[in-house]
Amino acid sequence: MLIQKEIKLADVIHHDYNLIPVLNRFDIRLGFGDKTIEEICIEKNINIEFFLTILNAFHDRQFFPKKHLQSFPAKLLIQYLNKSHLYYLEEKVPEIEFSIEQLKNNTDLSPETFTLLKNFFEEYRNELTNHINNEEERVYPYVQKLEDAINSGKISDTLIQEMEEYSITDYEEDHDDVESKLYDLKNIIIKYLPSSENDNQYFNLLKELFMLESDLNEHSRIEDLILVPKVEAMEFTLKSMKS
Amino acid sequence: MVIRQTVVMIEGAYLIQAGIEQLLNELPGLVLLEVFEGSEKSLSEKIARLSPDILIIDTNSLKTDFVPLINEINKNPDCLTIGLFDSSTPENVKSHFKGCLNLSDGKFELLEQFGQILGKRPAKKPGLSNSSLSEREKTIVKQVVNGLTNQEIADKLFLSIHTVTTHRKNISNKLGIKTVSGLTVYALMNKIVDLNEIEHR
Repeated sequence: MLIQKEIKLADVIHHDYNLIPVLNRFDIRLGFGDKTIEEICIEKNINIEFFLTILNAFHDRQFFPKKHLQSFPAKLLIQYLNKSHLYYLEEKVPEIEFSIEQLKNNTDLSPETFTLLKNFFEEYRNELTNHINNEEERVYPYVQKLEDAINSGKISDTLIQEMEEYSITDYEEDHDDVESKLYDLKNIIIKYLPSSENDNQYFNLLKELFMLESDLNEHSRIEDLILVPKVEAMEFTLKSMKS
Repeated sequence: MVIRQTVVMIEGAYLIQAGIEQLLNELPGLVLLEVFEGSEKSLSEKIARLSPDILIIDTNSLKTDFVPLINEINKNPDCLTIGLFDSSTPENVKSHFKGCLNLSDGKFELLEQFGQILGKRPAKKPGLSNSSLSEREKTIVKQVVNGLTNQEIADKLFLSIHTVTTHRKNISNKLGIKTVSGLTVYALMNKIVDLNEIEHR
C-alpha cells in the first residue's frame, strides 16, 4: 500500500505496526484520534513530503526513491538520523539488555554462558555507541557546515581545509563490524545456545535483535544511499565554487 | 531435501527487480538476501561479505564497467553468476557469466533456463554442509581467539597465509559467525578454549 497524506495515521499503524518507532522520530505521540497524516503534519509543523517518503521507505523495502530523498535538505535527514540514534541507544539497547538479564534465571544456561552473552552484547553496545558518537560529533556537523556554505554561497578557508582532510567517502567503510557482531549474536542464540524448556526468553531476545537489525539496515541505507551521495555532490559543488 | 541457496541481485529497474523476485519465489530453496541497484560503492566487497550462492546481474544497472566486478566475483568458484540479457547482447559479454537469463522470454522458458543453470551447479563440498569443525579448524579457532593475526597463525602452524585465510572463511561459513568476539563466545561455549587460557594471554 502506498501511504498518502489523506490517509488516517491510525489506519496506517493498523496496516503496518513496524512504523510505530518512526512516529517518535517526528515527535508524533499516540493519541492522534482520527486525524489524517496531512492534518498531523500541519499541526506539528512536519514536512509532509519527507514524512511520507520515510514512512513508505520503511514500510516497503522496494520503495526507495533515491533521487527524491536526496532532494530534501541535509538538515532534515540529519534530524531524522539523530532521532533514530536516540531510539537505538535509549530504547532498543536497554530493552535487549533487559532480555539478556532475564536469562540469568534460566537454569539451562550456565552462569558462564550467561556472562559470555552479556559481555558480548556489551562489547557490541560500546561499538555501536562509538559509531553513533562519531557520526553525531564529526560527520553530521561537517555535513551541516557544507549545507550552510552552499546556502549562503560563502565558503570559509577552514571549511576548505576540513574538506581536504576529511572526506565523507572515508566514513562509509566503518559500518561493517557493528553489523557483523549483531549477525553473530543472532546465530549464537539460534544455533549454539543449549536448548531450554524456557524458549520464550530466547524468542523475545531474538525478536528484539531482529527488529534492531532491520531498523539499523534501514538507517544505514539512508546514510549510504542518500546522505553520502548528497554530501559528495555538495563537496563537489563547493570545490568548483572555490576554483 | 531442498537445498537452501542464497541469492543476491544487482538490478536498478524496479519492474525487472519485482519480476525476478517473483520468479525466485517459484523455486523452492532460493532465498533472496539483498538487492543492489548497481551504483553502490565497493560493491564487490559488499557481495563478498554476503557470499551468496547465486548472483544475478543486470549489466545495464552498473554504473561502471562490469568486467572487473565479475572477475572479482568469479574468484569465488562457489558463486554462480547469472547475467540478464536480451537477444541483442553480444556473446563476448555473455561469456563472462556462468549462466544467462533472457529478458524477453516467457515464464516457462525462464523457469526452464533457471532449472538448467541450477542443475549445472557442482554439488556442494561435503564438509560445508556439516557444521562441526574439523580438528584443524578448531586449532585455528584457538589461535584466532588468542588474538593472533592470520600471518602469525600461518607462521606458528607452518601453513601458507592463503591456507589460513581459506580455513577462516570456511569456519565463518560453517558457524555463521564472522567476528573474533563471536568466535570467542563460540569457542568458550564449546570448550575449544577455556577462559584461563584467554585471560592469561
